[in-house]
Amino acid sequence: MFRQSRPPDPDQDLVDRAREGDTRAFDALILKYGDKLYGLVYNMTSHKEDTHDLLQDIFAKAYQSLRSFRGNSTFYTWIYQIAVNQTLNFLKKRKRRTGLSLNDLDSGVQNDPALVDSTHEADPERQTQIKELQRKLNEAMQKLSEKHRMVVTMFDIQGMSHADIAKVLKTSEGTVRSRLHYAHLQLQSALQDSWDERF
Amino acid sequence: MKPTVEQVETLLALKRHERPEDDYWQGFVREFHQRQREQAVARTGFAGVRERLGDWMRALKPMEWAYGAGIAYAAVTVAFFLMPRNAEIERTAPTPVKYEVLPSPTAVEQLDQLDLSPSTQGSAGEVVF
Repeated sequence: MFRQSRPPDPDQDLVDRAREGDTRAFDALILKYGDKLYGLVYNMTSHKEDTHDLLQDIFAKAYQSLRSFRGNSTFYTWIYQIAVNQTLNFLKKRKRRTGLSLNDLDSGVQNDPALVDSTHEADPERQTQIKELQRKLNEAMQKLSEKHRMVVTMFDIQGMSHADIAKVLKTSEGTVRSRLHYAHLQLQSALQDSWDERF
Repeated sequence: MKPTVEQVETLLALKRHERPEDDYWQGFVREFHQRQREQAVARTGFAGVRERLGDWMRALKPMEWAYGAGIAYAAVTVAFFLMPRNAEIERTAPTPVKYEVLPSPTAVEQLDQLDLSPSTQGSAGEVVF
């Protein structure tokens, strides 16, 4: 049986340079994937300061482990896996540490007026409704278990395929689909009171 | 009224546009390098060596652990078979213990000089005034 050849890693050059101590090459990798990883961590923690600290830890871990990166996957897949593991560990610790109230968490897009403005610029009432809906959605997201929130974040927010999610979470595609189905049902129920048919 | 799954997905997709402020990453990178420098200083001591050793061991794959364990097992086995078996440990012959106790000649002489005649012996516990 022949091994299927993988496409070359687009970051190979930056990774090689970073390995040799070129800090600017690693900075370029941070800037390239920062937003994606920020989205993952922020939607899992719903807390800006926690997200910032976790991202520092994730990039530090990747930087220190760069020598052990063997190129069995792309650099992005590798660092994404680090981010997933660190985030899940962090959430476990946070849950043990204190019963974090939903009030302590940021409410996400409602703090991002640019987004709401761009989607419904001319209708302030509509904006308020969407903000309220987003707030409910964020609360519902935080009520999901970590594994369900993770698949929703990866699939619906980050736009990853079932196969890629299964690979990162080291599980089957069937499990991913099943978790996603359950999570969507939960979110549907959570939003039913505030849902308006005009949406 | 309940939203459909597609509507929930659309709402979630809006969150794709959430990202930090424009100058966030510049400050992030600066802080990242600052932290790296501080960690490098902290890593120079014994704790640093221990941490690096731990990192190295964590980086080992299961196959490498298996190879390492195999090599260690082979080394112990070879050492066991190469160890000389006919070498005997010299044993010193046991020396018999003498139980006979002989008084020293000087002690005998001292005993001979004692005057043990009845006139010199008092009665035990009796005081003569």
